[in-house]
Amino acid sequence: MTTAQWARLSSDAFNAALFGYIAAMIVSFAYLAFRKGWLHTAATAIGIGALVANAISIVARGAAAERTPWGNMYEYSALLTFLMVLGYLWIVEARAKVRTVGGFVYGLAVITMAMAVSFFYVGPTALMPALNSYWRQIHVTSMIVASSLLGVGCLFTVVYLLKLSGERRTASRLQTQAPPPIMGGSIASDPSAPPDFAEGADEPVGASAASRRVGLPSSATLDGLAYRFIRFGFPVWTFGVICGAIWAQQTWGRYWGWDPKETWSFITWVVFAGYLHARATAGWRGTRAAVVALIGFVSLLVTYYAVNLWIAGLHSYAK
Amino acid sequence: MSASDGPRSSLSRSVALVWRTLRSMRTALILLLMLAAASVVGSLIPQIPNSPERVAAYELDHATWGSVFRASGFFDVFGSWWFALITALLFVSLVACLLPRSRALIRAARQRPIQARELDGFPSYVRTRVPAGPATVTAEAAKLLRRKRYRVAVQDDVSVAGEKGSLREIGSLAFHWAFLLLLVAIIIGKGTGYVGHATIVEGETWTDAELNYDGDLRTGRFFRGAFSGTGITLVDYEDAYRDTGIPMDFQSRIRLLNPDGSFAREADVRINHPAVFNGIRIYQYGFGWAAVVRVAEGARVLFDGPVVMGQDPLPDQNPLATPWIGVVKLTSLRPQQAIVLELFPDAEAYFRSLQTGVAQPMTEANAPFMRYQVWEGKLLDASRAGLDTRFMRATTSGLIGQGWSVDVDAGCAISGPGDAVPASLEGISCPDGAAPDALTMSFPALRQYSRLQISHDATVPYVLAAAILIVVGLLPALYVSRRKVWVRARPDDTGSIVDIGGFALQRKDRFDEEFATLVDAVVRASGGTVDRDPQEVGSP
Ligand code: HEM
Repeated sequence: MTTAQWARLSSDAFNAALFGYIAAMIVSFAYLAFRKGWLHTAATAIGIGALVANAISIVARGAAAERTPWGNMYEYSALLTFLMVLGYLWIVEARAKVRTVGGFVYGLAVITMAMAVSFFYVGPTALMPALNSYWRQIHVTSMIVASSLLGVGCLFTVVYLLKLSGERRTASRLQTQAPPPIMGGSIASDPSAPPDFAEGADEPVGASAASRRVGLPSSATLDGLAYRFIRFGFPVWTFGVICGAIWAQQTWGRYWGWDPKETWSFITWVVFAGYLHARATAGWRGTRAAVVALIGFVSLLVTYYAVNLWIAGLHSYAK
Repeated sequence: MSASDGPRSSLSRSVALVWRTLRSMRTALILLLMLAAASVVGSLIPQIPNSPERVAAYELDHATWGSVFRASGFFDVFGSWWFALITALLFVSLVACLLPRSRALIRAARQRPIQARELDGFPSYVRTRVPAGPATVTAEAAKLLRRKRYRVAVQDDVSVAGEKGSLREIGSLAFHWAFLLLLVAIIIGKGTGYVGHATIVEGETWTDAELNYDGDLRTGRFFRGAFSGTGITLVDYEDAYRDTGIPMDFQSRIRLLNPDGSFAREADVRINHPAVFNGIRIYQYGFGWAAVVRVAEGARVLFDGPVVMGQDPLPDQNPLATPWIGVVKLTSLRPQQAIVLELFPDAEAYFRSLQTGVAQPMTEANAPFMRYQVWEGKLLDASRAGLDTRFMRATTSGLIGQGWSVDVDAGCAISGPGDAVPASLEGISCPDGAAPDALTMSFPALRQYSRLQISHDATVPYVLAAAILIVVGLLPALYVSRRKVWVRARPDDTGSIVDIGGFALQRKDRFDEEFATLVDAVVRASGGTVDRDPQEVGSP
């Protein structure tokens, strides 16, 4: 195939993936609302199809540009959605057997892809020599992997806070003596694996059955999922920032220069370190730690988008 | 923080309180968030070290805020006293936190696992009956636990204590100490280092000394002027471009000289491939053209050497297609004169641009020529690169190609134009040669220069080591879980009654499985059969 054909295939597959994720998102939310098994099957099938299209788009892009296909924001975004959805399908659906939160993940993927086409589209082109480094490859790859993990983790934090407020409301409405079965975020039931991780555990139980958000997993499950993803993403982010520093040392002769992208990746790192501390600090567990994670999410978005769109810096390669 | 309003009555009590506050996890958390918030300010407000021109523009536009920001250090957040204060507090907090933790870790490593008396209170607990006697049971249990890499202590042949997962604390401490080391190494390295740029024309030698740097030279706060004295000779500069004009590679072949001037070795400096020598790192940073020019008045030579030329492209111009500009300043003439040279390295590409209207990159020397413009008057800035024309007036101008010599006053060529010159440059020869005392200029050669970035940062290896330790420590700190298990056996008429209890501090789901298999293994090794009543596995 010629370069133009590869480029064409890449953008067709990108669009297919985008529409696939939109469909998967709608069907997933429908499953959350109506709890019909076939809806979940359909959502997963569409999601996997879109994931394949996403992968084809990335590979074809690499073939068109004759290099690894993560050289600019458009390409990062395609890889980011791929990893987020892959991580979701694998860790959340297949391993943790939680099925009702797919709509949120597909939604995040849709937003990421839509941002990519509307703000960052560029054709497949060669790279500047400064970008042509082994460390850059590792740096960019780990930053994208880490972003996808942290992003999905934070998404679960948002859902967790929604669910938690639902549970609290239900608890006070029902005037039950006993608290809801699992108070979110308590370390007492280790968040990384609450007992209700088994198949079907995202069914409503106990007092929260009456909650309006019946479909969502318990807040403890959500909190545990969020923690799993962030705990996985944090060391990867750390590693990615260090590789970036090595690359900067090699290319610009300084490993750190407080340019906006560097500054924001540091801020994100510090905030997620804060999140990990908060989970180990009495009085910060649960809601407060979740709020720290949300700050981390905002910081992640700024690192990923705002720095490129609005804040000028040395990392102009990302245009 | 309430530390400061502690009781005044006893100094030591307040110190203890401050120390305790600093040690608390909450303080660390708040300091971390403050560090993040301060960095946010640093990324949103223009910073003097990164973009002084934007700071100046901001101060012009917003006089009040500008002065507030300047006074409060917002224009240099990462160098401000309050950023240093937060970092210092974090430092102290870290040390305050790490010292007792490290001491506890060492103490725990020396101690054998402690026996427990009541096992039925632990989150995981099983009581069962086995045929073997207590001594066999404890021996088997100890063996099993050791095989699972628990640290094990056996007491009186009736009770076993095992624990595992101290790697978590080791990793966490390694991570935190490494972070501390990282900060210290960065501060020392940046504080005692320097970064600057050297412009070297092919064939020339540059020496690492303060006055030889061009443009801004940044030295650390604790730097005492000990430049390395290294010599760098640029043997050759090369670059390569794709057809599209996108650069592929820039490379400087250099000879490195010891401070005493003796030859040390050769090196190639390319993008992403710096050379390291004598404590400095040398990076490819930029490049340009240097026209070798000889200016004489009659027989008196006024200037002879390469003129380093720079560019001033408009934002939407391709720098490769714009001319290069340099100045020759003739300070000894009265009135003083300056010749501004505008170089077109590739005449063919230039004329193609004129014909097609599309700017063509001039990446190679191909019949190079220059436009020159003579200025006369008073030179205000004899030592600087640019030309301040406020007290000067433009006189003659003309063209000079490589290999020509021109009469600058008359603006015509004495020799040279001919075969190699494009047709449109012809017809400017001086009708009757040069006058005896005319100001003449010749352009014998065109060379390239390379701009190298020179930096000295002594702690880079330590920073790297600390960074590696951070990642290496982080993994067990986040993933290893600490587990403790106890097995006690007491004699029964048919064998022993065995109590097994334990708990995990992290990843409890995994521990439930591990505990169940451990119980099965102990029972089996003690001659029992495994048909546990699920009720027996207590997991409150
Ligand atoms: C200076 C910046 C700091 C950073 C980036 C940082 C980072 C981290 C990270 C990522 C963890 C997670 C490991 C885990 O969950 O086990 C952690 C754990 C911990 N940190 Fe820090 N830390 C910092 C400062 C401090 C300070 C000043 C203290 C003492 C007050 C402290 C005390 C702890 C403790 C006790 C843990 C273990 C938490 C647990 O697992 O129960 N840290 N730290």
